[in-house]
Formats: sequence, structure tokens, C-alpha cells
Amino acid sequence: MGRYVERFSAFDRVVHWTLAVAFLVLVISGLGLFAHTFFGYFSFFGGPEQGILAHKIAGVVFLIASLLLFFAHAKDSCSFDSDDAKWFAAFGGYLSKNEKEIPQGKFNAGQKLFALFSFVAALVLGVTGFIIWDPTAMARGMTQFSLMLHGLFFILIMMGAVVHIYLATIGNPGTVDGMLWGQVKKVWAKKHASKWFKEVAGED
Amino acid sequence: MARKAFMIDTSRCTACRSCQVACKQWNKLPADSEINRGSYENPPQLTPHLYNKIEFIETEVNGEFKWLFLNKRCLHCGEAGCLKVCPSTGALFRTEEGLIGFDKDKCIGCNYCVNGCPFDVPRYDADNKITKCHGCLDRVGNGLQPACVKACPTGTLQFGARDKLIAQGKTSGRKLYGEKALSGLGAMYLLDNQPQDYKLADNPSIPTSIFLWKDVIKPLGILGFWGSVGVAMLHYVTVGPKQLDDDTEAKGGE
Repeated sequence: MGRYVERFSAFDRVVHWTLAVAFLVLVISGLGLFAHTFFGYFSFFGGPEQGILAHKIAGVVFLIASLLLFFAHAKDSCSFDSDDAKWFAAFGGYLSKNEKEIPQGKFNAGQKLFALFSFVAALVLGVTGFIIWDPTAMARGMTQFSLMLHGLFFILIMMGAVVHIYLATIGNPGTVDGMLWGQVKKVWAKKHASKWFKEVAGED
Repeated sequence: MARKAFMIDTSRCTACRSCQVACKQWNKLPADSEINRGSYENPPQLTPHLYNKIEFIETEVNGEFKWLFLNKRCLHCGEAGCLKVCPSTGALFRTEEGLIGFDKDKCIGCNYCVNGCPFDVPRYDADNKITKCHGCLDRVGNGLQPACVKACPTGTLQFGARDKLIAQGKTSGRKLYGEKALSGLGAMYLLDNQPQDYKLADNPSIPTSIFLWKDVIKPLGILGFWGSVGVAMLHYVTVGPKQLDDDTEAKGGE
């Protein structure tokens, strides 16, 4: 009996970090198009034209990685039960110190919500990104609407990313281990995902 | 400097298209190879090599065939959609006379201005760089008339102080188009008919999606992003992280 339990497979980890790198490239290459303040970021890529090209390539990688990651965990992410309702009602216990943990499956209700949101956001950004790939190719109204939606979901996914990174690192010590080398401590699993821990370890 | 503008008195136009030719000559634009479409209107749209053109609008008045001629060009809007969306500072710019010029060296080929324009004016050339009427800002900056105005034999095209042209236009008794719209157009029309007869929008405005994108989502988004960062930091120092109760590492290892 070790102190660790397997949480994410090598496939999950590689896809997640591919997605993360693509996301970073997308943010840096896209900010120059979003606001004048960040126009200088294009120089990371050698110039605006190259930055836009990098944005398109990273966009395709990000969309594929997002779909792979979502469907690999769709069974866990898309099923909500009464414990999830309790979790939402208690805001996941994030509002005060020493709140009792509500039993959760592999992913808690908030993580499931984030998985669904990321999936929708990746789809919207991907589809609108395809429409504005060449902003003169499609109908004018549709291109304008896509530019707006692309901007809106960029903002939403940035906010999502801030919350995701905070909660998966310093907000919940021990969580990022699972995404780095695949295993989390058993004490982590008992605390954060007790129903899942029972399932995989057969322990209480 | 007082704003300058074009005034286009459509009733004077004979569709000689001197304006098209003079523009091509001054701006060294090549001819577009075209086909006969059964109209003298040629080409049918603005092109990367055609900064202004005469539109031949075919109408019927009391059973009689009648042409309406409209000089199509960049209208140098006071509130310009192209400027609003252009990510590259200086690729599109406003001169002190109020004209909107472009700098191909700074254009990044994003085509945003094409989508920001309420009048479908900007075109991209073979190098994927913006082209459009720049009001002959090089001539105007040196005290000359724009090439098209200089060449116009009928007085359809006038260029000068915007206020004076508006005052003059109002005495003509015809419909003045573009005095107030989009903070005042830099190219206004005097129309005999209604704007829609000339395929002009009654109340031209920045496209709704573009307005929402740049004036609502962007500022709220900046607030939202830094708000998220702030909430995360605040949470960490108030409620704090969910520590693991039995963290052996915290005890100094086994």
C-alpha cells in the first residue's frame, strides 16, 4: 500500500499540457489583435502576419486537444447527482475555513461545470475562429457576429483559466500532482473525491 | 484645423467618370480588366485599384427610364468603424483635416476594417494590404484639391471646409445626407431622392456586433479578467487553501 493513487493517465497528461501550451500561444498571439496595448506581443512570433499564422495553428491544436480531453472524461464530467447539488449549494466549501467536504466522484461539481464550459468555449472559439480565418470569405454579418463571439469567449475562457489555475494549484494543495505525474496522495483523494477514492482504492 | 469634407451633389453628375480616371492617375492605380455587364457602370464594385466609382442606379420615374448617379467612395466617417477595429496603430489614421488615410507598411492584413466599415468600402490588394480612398491626403496636405474634385467638370464633387459646404448644401433645398450620422461623414451627398433609392442606409451606424465587441465586451472583459485575479488572491488570503489534514510532508517526511 503506497501513499499515492493513480488519477490521470499519461494520455490525459500529454493532451492536457498540449492544450495548455496551445492556450498560452493563443493568448499571446491573440492579444495583439484584441487591444493596441498588446500589439508588441506579435514580435514574439517575428511579426503580426506570423503571429496570426501561429494563432491559427495553435487554434487547431487547442480545439483538437479540447475535444480529446472532454470526450475522454465525458462519462465522469456529464453526470450530476444530488451530492453535486449539495456541492453547488455550499459553493464547494470555498466560502469559509474548515467546511465539511461533500462526497464527490472523480471530479467535483465545479470541475464538471468547468469541463462542460471549456468544451462549449473551445467549440465556440473554434467555429468562430474558422469563420474569421479569412474575414472576407463568409457573409459580412456572420463574420462580424463571429468576431464579437470570439472576443466574448476569449474573455470568458481567460476568467475560467484564472479560476482553474488558482483552484488546481495553490488553492487546493496536492491537486496539480495528478496532472504532473499522474498520481495524487491518498489523503488528497479522501478529502476531495471520497466517492471516487472508494471506487478505485476500495478503502474508506 | 477645421474639418474638411467632400460634398457630392448627385443631381449635377453626368457620369463622365473623370473622377475615376483622375483618381487612378494620381494614385498610380492600374486598370481593372472587366467584362460588359450590360451597363456603363464599370467595374460593378470598388476594387483594390478603384478608390471611387460612379454607381449607375436604374430607376423608373412616371414610366420613363432614369439613371441615378452616385459617386461611391470612403465617406471618411467622424466615428469610423475601420479605425475602431484596426489593431495596428497607424495602419489607418485620421489626418488633421479629418480624412482617413492608410499606411500599407503598418497594415497587418487582418481584414478587420472590412468588417468594421458600415459602407463596405475597404478593399485588400494582392499583398493583402488595405486600399481605399484616402481623400488624396497628400494633395490636401499641400493645399491642393483631391484629384477627383480637380477633374470633375460639372461641380458635382466639391471639397473644402465642412461647415461651409453644409451651409451651402442646405440652401440648395435638396436632401443632405451625412451631416450628423456617425459623428458627421467626411463625404456628404446632396440627394434628389430618398437615401434608399441610392442604396444608402437611412441611419448608417457602426455594425451592432462591432459596437458590442469593441465598446462593451472589451472594457467589461478587462474588468472581468482582473476581477477574477483579484477574487482568487482575496480568497487565498482570507478563506485560504484547502490544506490536506494529514500531509506527511508537512510533518517533515517519514
